[in-house]
Amino acid sequence: MGQAPSAVEDVGEEAPPPPPSNGPSPPPAASSMEDLIAEAMSTTDNDAEESLEAKAQRALECPCVADLRKGPCGIQFSEALVCFIKSTAEEKGSDCVNPFIALQNCIKANPNAFSKDILDAEDTEEEEVQEYKIVPPSWSKESIPKN
Amino acid sequence: MMAASDQVCVDLPILLSSFVDAFVDFSVSGLFFPTNPFPNPNLSAAAAATRIPAPSRLVAIGDLHGDLPKSLQALSLAGLVDPFSARWTGRDAVAVQVGDVLDRGGDELRLLYLLHRLKLDAARAGGALLTLHGNHEIMNACGHFRYATPAGLDEFKRWGFWYRSGLAMKRLCADLDSPRDPFKGVPKSFPGIKEEFWEGIRARIAALRPNGPIAARFLAGNQTVLVIGESVFVHGGLLQKHVDHGLEKINEEVREWITGLNGGQAPAYLRGREGVVWLRNFSDGSDCDCSHLEEVLAMIPGARRMVMGHTIQEQGINEVCGARAIRIDVGLSRGCSNGLPEVLEISDGVKLRILTSNPVYYERLKQDKRPWRPVAEEELEGLGILVPETRPQEVEAKA
Repeated sequence: MGQAPSAVEDVGEEAPPPPPSNGPSPPPAASSMEDLIAEAMSTTDNDAEESLEAKAQRALECPCVADLRKGPCGIQFSEALVCFIKSTAEEKGSDCVNPFIALQNCIKANPNAFSKDILDAEDTEEEEVQEYKIVPPSWSKESIPKN
Repeated sequence: MMAASDQVCVDLPILLSSFVDAFVDFSVSGLFFPTNPFPNPNLSAAAAATRIPAPSRLVAIGDLHGDLPKSLQALSLAGLVDPFSARWTGRDAVAVQVGDVLDRGGDELRLLYLLHRLKLDAARAGGALLTLHGNHEIMNACGHFRYATPAGLDEFKRWGFWYRSGLAMKRLCADLDSPRDPFKGVPKSFPGIKEEFWEGIRARIAALRPNGPIAARFLAGNQTVLVIGESVFVHGGLLQKHVDHGLEKINEEVREWITGLNGGQAPAYLRGREGVVWLRNFSDGSDCDCSHLEEVLAMIPGARRMVMGHTIQEQGINEVCGARAIRIDVGLSRGCSNGLPEVLEISDGVKLRILTSNPVYYERLKQDKRPWRPVAEEELEGLGILVPETRPQEVEAKA
C-alpha cells in the first residue's frame, strides 16, 4: 500500500503547528521531548524511567499548563498528563486508563473546571448564529397543543 | 536557569494537544490511537483510489446502522476482527463496508471510532478496510436527522460535552493556537423541538456537517463508488448517467463537499430516488432491470457484478440477474430487522461465497472452517439445501 497525495484535509489529525518562537532561541545543547524520549529508550530501563519521570515533572512547571493545574481538577489533570508523557505504548496513553477515568469523573462533577471565561464564549456564539435548517426526528418534536 | 526545562516547555504545547486529543477520544469511544499512525488510512493509495486490483481475499459487509455488537458479530463471522479485543485479525484481506453506519442505533460514534482504528490495524497488516458513503451519512451531513434515535442523540450529546471540555483545556494553554470551535454558528435553540434534545441536536450538527470534526475525521475517507477487480461497490446503485459523469469524479466531488471545500449543497447525484446512495432499481425484490444493469456494467472496464447495500434483504444475501447484482444488506442492526449476520466473500477475484451465521447451513462446519453457502440459487438447490421461506428469528441473548 503506497502513499498517495490526498486532497483531504483531515482536520483531526493534521500536523501540529510548530511551536511559537518567543524570547531567546533555544540553546544548542537542548534536548527536545522527542530527543529525550529517544535518549531514554536507548539507555537502560531504569535510567529511561527516571529520565521520563524527571522530564514529566519538569513539564508540570511550564507556563502552558499553569492554569490547567488550578481549579477543582488540577490534581487529576496533572496525574493524567504525567502518565501520558511517560507513556511509551504504541497507542500513547493506553496505559493511563485509571488517571484518565479519574480526570473524567472530576470533569463530570465540575463541568466548568477548565472554562476560561464563560461570559466571553457565550457572547460570540449569540452573534454568529447561522440560518440552519434541519429535519429533526419525529419523536423529538414538541407535541402541538390541541385548542 | 535550566536549559533543558526551556526546551521541555517549548515542546509542551504540542504534547498537551496530543494528550487532550487522546483524553477526548478515550472519553468518547473507550479507544486509543497511535499518535503517528502509519500509514494514515485516509492518505493511503487504497483509500484515495476508485479502482483497485482484486486481492486474494475480499469481504463485503452491509449496512451497520449504529449497532456495535451486531457489527462485531458480522466482522468476526467474516474472519476480520476478534470480537473480544475488537482488533483486526484479517491480515492482508480487503474489506468493504458499503455504507449506512449512522442512524437507527445508539453506537454510531463508537462504530465510527472502531472502524477508524480497524483501518489503521488493517493497513499495518498489509490489508485494508474501506468504507463507502450510504444515504444515511449524506442525510446526516445535510442535517436530516429523521432516522436518529434517542440513544444516538445522547451519544452525540456526550461527544459534544467531551469535545468542548477538550477545547476548554487547550484554550487554557496560552502557547497553543486557539482551536477552531465547530459549534460556532450552530443555533442553541430549536423551536418546535423539545428542549431536552437541543444539546444533542446541536452536537450532531456541529459534528457531522461538512468539515465538522466527525465528518472530516471519519467520513471524509469514504469513497462513494469502488471498483475492486470485477466487482463494483456502491450503496444504492449506479445508472448509466452516473458512469457517464465519471466514477473518479463522483468520489472526488463528494469528498470535496464533505470536507467543506465546495461550500454548497451535496452533489445532485447523491439526492433523490435516482441518487447513487438511494437507488433500489437492482435491489428491490426479484423484478430488476437486468438489461439496464448489463449496460451499466459494460461501461465499466472489467466489471462483472454490482454489490449493493441499502435495501434490506429478508432472506439474507442474494443475487439476481445471473449474479450480476448482489444485495448484501441483511438488516443487521437491531434498529432495522435484527437480521442474522451474513457477509459476501470473494476469493482470488472470482470465487464467491456467503459466510453465514444462519444455522440451516451449519452442516458446512463439518468440512470448512467457516459456515458458508453459495451465492447462486441453483447451486443451493443442487446441494440439496432447502432454502427456508423466512429466516429463523435472531434470538435476543441477554449478555
